[in-house]
Amino acid sequence: MLPVFQQHCTACHGEASTQAELDLRSLDAALRGGTSGPAVIAGDSAGSLLVAKLVSGSMPMGGERLAPSEIEVIRHWIDEDLPASKVARAVTERDVLPVFQMRCVTCHGKRRKEAGLDLRTRASRLRGGESGPAVIPGDPEGSLALQRVLAGEMPPPHMLMEFNVRPPGSKEVETLKAWIAGGARPDPESQAESGSLVSDEDRSFWSFRPPERPALPEVSDTGSVFNPIDTFVVARLEHEGLGYAPEASRETLLRRVYLDLIGLPPSPDEAIRFLNDDSPEAYQHLVDTLLDSEHYGERWAQIWLDLAGYADSEGIIDEDRIRENAWRYRDYVVRALNSDKPYDEFLTEQIAGDELWDYRDLEEVTQQTVDRLAATGFLRMASDPTYSFANASLGEKLAVVADQLEILSSSVLGLTVGCARCHDHKYDPIPQRDYYRLSAVLHTAFDPYDWVDPTERLLDVALEDERRTASDHNDPIEARIEELESAWTSRTDEFRRNGVKALAEELPESVSQDLLGVLDTPRSERNEIQKYLATKFRDILEIRDGELTQRFPELAEEAEEFQESVAALKKTLVPKPRIRAAYDMGGEPSAVYLLRRGEPQSVGERVYPGSPEVFDKAIEPLSVHATRPAETSGNRTALARWLTQTEHPLTSRVIVNRIWLNYFGRGIVSTPENFGKTGARPSHPRLLDWLATELVRSGWSLKHLHRLIVTSRAYRQSSRIPDAARSGDPQNMLLSRMPLRRMPAEILYDSILRSGDRLDSTQFGPPTGVVVLPGGETVAEKTRGGWRRAVYTLRRRSTPVTLMDTHDLPQLSPNCTERSRSTVATQALQLENGTLARSVAQYLAGRLVDRFPDDTAQWVEQLYLRLYARRPTGDETTAALQDLTRLRREWYAQLGEQDDAAPRRLTSKWHALGSLAHAMLSSNEFAFID
Amino acid sequence: MRGERRTSWSAARAPTRRHFFSRIADGLHGAALASLLGADTGRAAALTHQRGAADLAVRHPDFQPRAKSVIHLFMNGGPSQVDMFDPKPLLRRYEGQEAPRDILSKIEFADEIGGLLPSPFEFAPCGQCGMEVSELLPHFAEIADEVTLIRSMWGESFNHEPSLYLMHSGRILPGRPSLGSWVVYGLGSENRNLPGYVVLDDPKKLPVNGIQNWQSGWLPPVFQGTRVRSEDPPLLNLYPAEQRASPLVEAERDLLRRLNRGHLSGRPWQPDLQARISSYELAARMQLAAPEALDISQESEATRRMYGIDREETASYGTRCLMARRLVERGVRFVQIFIEYQIWDAHSDLEESLRYSCGKTDQPIAALIKDLKQRGLLDSTLVIWGGEFGRMPLGQVRDAGSAGRDHGPDGFSMWMAGGGVKRGHVHGITDELGHKAVEGRVSVHDFHATMLHLLGMDHRELTHERHGLRERLTDQYPARVVTELLA
Repeated sequence: MLPVFQQHCTACHGEASTQAELDLRSLDAALRGGTSGPAVIAGDSAGSLLVAKLVSGSMPMGGERLAPSEIEVIRHWIDEDLPASKVARAVTERDVLPVFQMRCVTCHGKRRKEAGLDLRTRASRLRGGESGPAVIPGDPEGSLALQRVLAGEMPPPHMLMEFNVRPPGSKEVETLKAWIAGGARPDPESQAESGSLVSDEDRSFWSFRPPERPALPEVSDTGSVFNPIDTFVVARLEHEGLGYAPEASRETLLRRVYLDLIGLPPSPDEAIRFLNDDSPEAYQHLVDTLLDSEHYGERWAQIWLDLAGYADSEGIIDEDRIRENAWRYRDYVVRALNSDKPYDEFLTEQIAGDELWDYRDLEEVTQQTVDRLAATGFLRMASDPTYSFANASLGEKLAVVADQLEILSSSVLGLTVGCARCHDHKYDPIPQRDYYRLSAVLHTAFDPYDWVDPTERLLDVALEDERRTASDHNDPIEARIEELESAWTSRTDEFRRNGVKALAEELPESVSQDLLGVLDTPRSERNEIQKYLATKFRDILEIRDGELTQRFPELAEEAEEFQESVAALKKTLVPKPRIRAAYDMGGEPSAVYLLRRGEPQSVGERVYPGSPEVFDKAIEPLSVHATRPAETSGNRTALARWLTQTEHPLTSRVIVNRIWLNYFGRGIVSTPENFGKTGARPSHPRLLDWLATELVRSGWSLKHLHRLIVTSRAYRQSSRIPDAARSGDPQNMLLSRMPLRRMPAEILYDSILRSGDRLDSTQFGPPTGVVVLPGGETVAEKTRGGWRRAVYTLRRRSTPVTLMDTHDLPQLSPNCTERSRSTVATQALQLENGTLARSVAQYLAGRLVDRFPDDTAQWVEQLYLRLYARRPTGDETTAALQDLTRLRREWYAQLGEQDDAAPRRLTSKWHALGSLAHAMLSSNEFAFID
Repeated sequence: MRGERRTSWSAARAPTRRHFFSRIADGLHGAALASLLGADTGRAAALTHQRGAADLAVRHPDFQPRAKSVIHLFMNGGPSQVDMFDPKPLLRRYEGQEAPRDILSKIEFADEIGGLLPSPFEFAPCGQCGMEVSELLPHFAEIADEVTLIRSMWGESFNHEPSLYLMHSGRILPGRPSLGSWVVYGLGSENRNLPGYVVLDDPKKLPVNGIQNWQSGWLPPVFQGTRVRSEDPPLLNLYPAEQRASPLVEAERDLLRRLNRGHLSGRPWQPDLQARISSYELAARMQLAAPEALDISQESEATRRMYGIDREETASYGTRCLMARRLVERGVRFVQIFIEYQIWDAHSDLEESLRYSCGKTDQPIAALIKDLKQRGLLDSTLVIWGGEFGRMPLGQVRDAGSAGRDHGPDGFSMWMAGGGVKRGHVHGITDELGHKAVEGRVSVHDFHATMLHLLGMDHRELTHERHGLRERLTDQYPARVVTELLA
């Protein structure tokens, strides 16, 4: 075989270099493999990476494909010629670790130590549990772990479903046996955490060096400089012989700044107040008012929630279970932004809120306590299907942790760290080891080998009055359920006993007597023998509900009735106020290993919590000091401290870029989630660094940043394209004008409601539900005040509100780092024929008809003020009145003969105005932020 | 750089037209002109050059395609290969015996495992090709000579949701673009008044994963599947809740046009504004085109009978098959037909359950193939049949009822017909129990790569830039075009 390798492979894997640390010059080396794991698995060509790479043609890289006949020869060699003994020799701890991790540690691990046995480490396996050592080196026959597996007793067949564990396959059993026979060798020499994998050249890339405060550039048009932002932008423009577009009109600026800062258009009164205010500070005052508005937090929370991947349901599986407590995290974000919580603190609370203070021993729970714990919901937003027994495999648990890490890195770090889950990052200096170091930080909260069901991973901390409200409501219902259950138990007890007796009597008398003894002894009082019997004869001793009615059909009707009443009662329960938090599980965490190819069956070197090496010279590396060692490792506090260093090359740049892009439609770095080598270079590098350092200097005040941006001349310019810019800056890379932007889904939705006076502005708390109408459209449930803002509407992954869905509401996979903006016909169909826009328009028309009977000019003026935040021109009023006349005529015909003429005239007037309002809601002037 | 042309929207395939637009499309005149020209050439919306913008313009494939459109007959639940397409007489000999360890280590309902279970159905060779299929599929037997049957598919998960995500989007997790989205992303659509990617779901119940099966993931939403119901209205929000007379509708549209014109006149060189205006015009055209395309009353009595629309058992699925043919005929690129939740998920009552599902689908599917053929459409249409996995050769025992089978992802059957695949051909072999594919193994990624190949696209070239990666349907997996299937 080696000649084939010599011909095709060893140029890269052996002689000149060992790409991916793979050496194909000897069999041992091929079996050992490289960074992606073993190249060859003896006896398993289908499972051998080498064959997969050859078949797909991805190897030889850049060379000619191997002929099918050559591949066949390799297959045959692997399957038939590779002697099993060759493999046995190499088996070490690292090879069997996956067997224990995948098949055993769910019950014999960290928190759950069945029979006193912990199978996580070599030492604990040798020590064993109540029945003795699990592993005796060199003695497969005496090693209980192997024997119980071979006998089919472990993992216990009746618990496979509950714990989503499957018995090991034959290859795993062989490996286990070979490992024990070979003396249960420990890990090969540890390469862990030694040697640098990153060079100084790697570190020199712009985004891996701390931002430096630049001097303000000189510009000639000083009149265009409203604040330092403008010096950078104008300098660039002047360099190209360009300048800003003229200032936007006051009307345009008014609507723009309202929509941008609070996500809602101004009311007619607010619009008139500003338009009539001639003072030079009018705009500054407006900005201050809006930044102080409670709606500011609602608007900007949405952008953060996208990054966090916020949803009110778990996703992935069909059930798409509602997350009853996710909204506390949303409320935290809204409140934090409204109070201008410094960004470093904002991040720290979200990453490590549980580690910052002792929440277990509180005298009184305040809103602040709840918020700080709810903040860690940031790390609980990835889709998590593991509440379902069928979807709680190790792979799925690892995927949840990986998604969470992806959320953290794409949102805060602006790096595609996730690429390094399966192999070293192909473009950025992020070795696979760094990925697992970061992952290890999270493992003290999310241990894949000591998992907690996401619907149980909740903290029982709540405000006293919330707790009381819930229990006042639930207690009587729960009492009633208990009553029903105990009545049912006593009703069926006799049947169960008789059933068991009947079965037991068929057994030999000695056994049968013992079994009846078990039956008569309450579970907690059973002795060891009885416990054993209870497990052994489980099928006889336990009659499940389903079986009960089968065996005693006379109970069927009662059983159904009982189940229905319990289910009906349970539906009326309100969720217990708890917090969906990420919190340290305490105790000694399971060891973390690098997983080759990201696969749990392919364990690599051991790793410890750490930060990516590429930053190690620019800033302090992550270092862990447990804050309250008994309860928490301090892992995530260390991560937060690492991230929020003022000199951090990415943290400040990434957030200022993110905020910038939501104003100007494009980031200074146009790939906001990727500041790495494949990302875009900044269009205004010095501006980016100035903003980043300015944010830090202001004490990480985000409102300071917003104020700077919206009061800059760059923001206040018109969207009209200056002649020179058409050729000089066609893509608006230089900001020669303000871009016209289609409203994002939530702003469009909220604006329709606000313009039509249908917005229920109730803040906070559980989201309003959604309903799927018979035709398939999903709409939010109505409240007494109309409809609530999008941010307070149930965000269930499987049923997004159609109006927002068609307008680019993102699918969260696992989060969304930048919205797309599409223009498709389904948007037009939704606005034209969907329920919301029509009904809001009609409602608004009714209000105007009531308030200004027969004053048609006033109707038009009101519509323009509400929908466009400006007064109509004379021509526009004239045209609108003509349209109203035509529409009224058509509506009169439409309404037909069934009504009396008088009310029909009135109704047609109302409908005509509704049509006008609807057309304006559908128009470009409404849908775009100018 | 390989594949770069698809990574940005400034890079559709017609170079001369493209260059022409790239000079003018940033302005009003350019956009308006582009829109006008689009009316002649199938361009649905005005051209824009912004990141994330998208349209359904026809784009040329990488090489000569064998098929222009796809009809995907998706069989949610996991049809049982050993009872339909993959005869395993040995199961009879080993009936009731306990399964080997390697099967037990990968099974969903680990507490309901029974012994090996032979198929209760008889198999017989059919057609000229002599392909062996079971008695459940008498109509399929008539089209076997048009079909390439793959008996050696394998997947990655024994649960429905991940397996559906895998089959529809190439990875066992949600959030990625679906097959149809990729295809329309790569090729655009031939019909400018209909969506490029149509989903015909069963009015009885959505499949597992619901609407997520046809999401466009991080591709622009224009590539998302449009759900078409076989009831009126066929498209969501196609009509208003209350019909309005056409003069009234016209008055409303005139008003909107006037408002938009006024707004546009003060804002030259803004292609987004024109694009949105065009999208309203397209919506109006769709209101006419969609009902016509789906109106099967225009079909002859004989055609309707052939699809089984006259019989209750086959009426529902037959209607969707016939609609699919009409859509493909009109240039729709990708049509998916779903059926009643997960009808193939036969965990118990195997015999009854399979008779029910085959009874509903066998005749309509055979009719679709015959009909496409007689209209000369089969050569340019690729028909795909299959579920998210197959089933175990083991029996599964539930509380009540007779035995069924648990999920089996390690070896299962799918088939293709039409556009460029061999006729009357069987590919691949499972082990003698029908559990695991052993020869000519075809992964889901291989299958996807082959489908794209038949449409004239290289799966390594059809990419989308995201987070610094060039994402593709086959993800980072090794995948190959299964050339043995190609005619």
